[in-house]
Amino acid sequence: MEDYEAQEIEFWAKLEEEGMSRSSMLRRSVAAAFGLTIVGNAATALGATKAKLASPPTHMTKALFGDLVKNAKKEGHLNTIALPPDWANYGEALHTFPRKYGIGITNDNPDGSSAQENEAIRSLKGDKRAPDVVDVGESFAIAGANEGLYAKYFVLNYKTIPRALKDTRGYWTGDYWGAVSIGYNKTLVPNPPKTFKDLMKPEYRGKVAINGSPLSSNSAVSVVIATALANGGSLGNIQAGIDFWAQMKKIGNYIPVQTTPQTVASGQTPISLDWDYNNKAYVTEFPAANWGFTVPADGVYGGYYAQAVSAYAPHPWAARLWEEFLYSDQGQIIWLKSGAHPARFNDLVARKVIPKAVLASLPPASLYKNVKFASLGQQTAAKNLIAQQWPTKVGG
Amino acid sequence: MADEGRRVGIATQAAPRALRPDLASGRRRLPLAWLATLPFFAYTIAFLFVPAASVMIGAFQDKANHGTFSNIRLLFHHPYIDAYWGSIRISLITAVAGAVLGMFIAYAAIRGGTPRWIRSVLTTFSGVAANFGGIPLAFAWIATLGPLGVVTTWFRNAGWDITYQTPHFQISSERGIELAYMYFQLPLMILVIAPAIDGLKREWREAAANLGAKQWQFWRYVGIPVLMPSFLGAFILLFGNAFAAYATAYSLDNGINIVPILIGDYYTGNVLDNPHIAQALAFGMFVVLAVMMVIYIPLQRRAARWAK
Amino acid sequence: MKLRRPRMAPSAYVWLLLAAIYFVIPLYSTLDFSLKENKAGTPCCTLHNYGWVVHNGDFWHTIKISFLLALETIVISLVLFVPTIYWVHLKLPRLRPVIAFMALVPFVVPPIVMVVGLLRTFNGAPGWYYGTPWGFLATAYVILAFPYMFFSLDAGFRAIDVHTLTEASQSLGARWTTTLVRVILPNIRAAALAASFLTLAIVMGEFTIANLAAFHTFPIFLQYVNESQGFPAGALTLLSFAITWAAMLSLLLIGRKRGARGAVVPATR
Repeated sequence: MEDYEAQEIEFWAKLEEEGMSRSSMLRRSVAAAFGLTIVGNAATALGATKAKLASPPTHMTKALFGDLVKNAKKEGHLNTIALPPDWANYGEALHTFPRKYGIGITNDNPDGSSAQENEAIRSLKGDKRAPDVVDVGESFAIAGANEGLYAKYFVLNYKTIPRALKDTRGYWTGDYWGAVSIGYNKTLVPNPPKTFKDLMKPEYRGKVAINGSPLSSNSAVSVVIATALANGGSLGNIQAGIDFWAQMKKIGNYIPVQTTPQTVASGQTPISLDWDYNNKAYVTEFPAANWGFTVPADGVYGGYYAQAVSAYAPHPWAARLWEEFLYSDQGQIIWLKSGAHPARFNDLVARKVIPKAVLASLPPASLYKNVKFASLGQQTAAKNLIAQQWPTKVGG
Repeated sequence: MADEGRRVGIATQAAPRALRPDLASGRRRLPLAWLATLPFFAYTIAFLFVPAASVMIGAFQDKANHGTFSNIRLLFHHPYIDAYWGSIRISLITAVAGAVLGMFIAYAAIRGGTPRWIRSVLTTFSGVAANFGGIPLAFAWIATLGPLGVVTTWFRNAGWDITYQTPHFQISSERGIELAYMYFQLPLMILVIAPAIDGLKREWREAAANLGAKQWQFWRYVGIPVLMPSFLGAFILLFGNAFAAYATAYSLDNGINIVPILIGDYYTGNVLDNPHIAQALAFGMFVVLAVMMVIYIPLQRRAARWAK
Repeated sequence: MKLRRPRMAPSAYVWLLLAAIYFVIPLYSTLDFSLKENKAGTPCCTLHNYGWVVHNGDFWHTIKISFLLALETIVISLVLFVPTIYWVHLKLPRLRPVIAFMALVPFVVPPIVMVVGLLRTFNGAPGWYYGTPWGFLATAYVILAFPYMFFSLDAGFRAIDVHTLTEASQSLGARWTTTLVRVILPNIRAAALAASFLTLAIVMGEFTIANLAAFHTFPIFLQYVNESQGFPAGALTLLSFAITWAAMLSLLLIGRKRGARGAVVPATR
């Protein structure tokens, strides 16, 4: 916790000491939310930076790596966006990278959404505070690639990433995935639920919460899909999931309370359905909550996020070095520590490079054998069904 | 009081013309009168109407920025229309309860006999509480009446499990949200109505008593009519305040179907992505408030007629 | 009539007691939680969380900014709205409903939408306005405070006899400004103070606009703690409540002192 706190103070201190132009900062943040076009010499600003360094390569190789580090250090800075320190252990990544390469990071809008990240790229073309890299949900990655927001880049270890987790044209690469899990407070829930169907038991009355509403949170949508799978639905038809939660609401087991660190720490949301890496983070973050979690066997649903380099990155070399860092063994293991499965997980396991301590802290691999991922079309259909039915069937 | 008025009137008659506001405010002064409100209008046009206009225009556009009514038409379907009813219900209930109860509380603190420090404490506390909302307020209520809340536990230990024994109460429900909203509606009412209650001069009560009026007669014929315009104004304020509130409701019950939450979902969420629907929803809010005003203005005029 | 020390009416006791219960209990629940520690199985009561807040440099830094911002907003609002509402009550009563209607617009425009519109419009404005909270943010907050300011001041103006006071003051030879400052203002002191309290609270609690306009105010800090820390959030909530309350009390004292000196028309109570 000290780390993140220090990081936050460092971030704001940087703002002050750089005497950063508020104008740019303002414009960046607005754009981060809504897509404005920025007045100003966008093209010239971009041109000016590029004039200093040549264009970075599209495919990284061992031979070119030295140049990458050199030029990235010349750029000297990296802009990231929407990376909460306790999400997938980004705190450690944001802490390690600057110390390893001497390149400072500015992390804007830590609690921002994927939509805001894409907007930031759109509207801040040419501004030196624009984001260099983004970490967005799958549907936003695909949309962004089609829109031309991202640059093609194949990391050094590209071949070791499973085909299903990357864009073959090179616009985005899956970074980590997690499965929907049930987290619980072991003191308040002495007999924890093992499957989604278990959640309907009377002993969990007033105890089950989802992290967010499926109308605005991607992880909540995934929870609904997972429960659909557990109740006879399928990836193409998640009606069973909506009906499940309608029933849970009716019998009083489901409490539509927004899970926050406070509610977890205090025990007001004794059971919380969320990505496994988020629930795992609570275990160490809140010892008072005596948190544990499990991935239920009756509906293993996974979702992944994707890395992309902005086509208008103000620090193109540093952006690519950051990607190399994340996809290196070191970066992948940083993600793995959070409980998220990094894209190169299978490769890491095969080469036996994962520290024993890290492996031991993970849930057993057998839990993830049957993980299912939904296609973009299935996800869209699910979201539309939820948007239509959730407010009346489950809401209120 | 009528005496004073006459005396001032005589004094006015005798004063030199330059100091006669009644003569001076003739036709020639009228344009100047409007001029004095110029700073105000300039400010509100620049800083209020411009952003409001962007909403109203955006409500009638689709993603390709072509004009369309489809967003507005959508509002009449489920679940959007339900969201409006939900919002109106919550706002009406908390506005009425807040206005009536707030007035009683304010009166209790201001009336003669109550020590003055009570009023100071109440007004300053109300100042803070009127804007205490969002996650902190929601957590305070969850910690009180949530499934493991302090009060819930008291009741449970006394044998009544309010979470599912009838009569039961859930903080994560429409009623729960209304209960939580009172935390800022009551203080708002207290703050706004207090000056009006001050205006109920003690002499009037004494005069009424002298004329033989009972307590309730004073209120029925003097007190309530005098307070009514301010009461109505405060009621509108409370309604608008509840109507626009977002964070508290979301943190207590993120499934509740009310308009501000839907707007948030469409504007900045991770799931739905259509700012024009959000703008159409905001336009709908504008219509609802406009309707409230249309009801309010003649009511208020009737009430004010008495107060003159 | 026999002179006797007025006693508090029994109904007043009941109402005030009920109000006290309603307001205090949630605060007590938060307090209960804030005294817990982030270790498994510890019995009650530690001040560790309060220590965390008090020793956090960001806490003091942002509270100072927000408080100054609030004062600035209050001053600008009063300077803008009091003369206008006075004038409307005096000379242009038909304008009142129009302004009342305008006062509802801030409720309709979600803060998210407002900040975008404002930033878009004032993109080219000079740095001292656009780039500092004292310019841009204060302007936006005056608009946010507008409904509360209007309805409070309106109720206050209604409670006094504006015409009589103005005529009396003018017949004694006062200019408009003197009338406004030395006659009207002391008489709407309660309403103006109430409006100021509301504005202070609004500024100390406003999050969305400050967040999207990239200013570092107290609510931003509060939200960050709420979203990332568990136990300190409760302590922070109570501390910010207490500090804002103290700020209000100081406003009240300031208002009271000035009022006692300045009233030209003696209070009729």
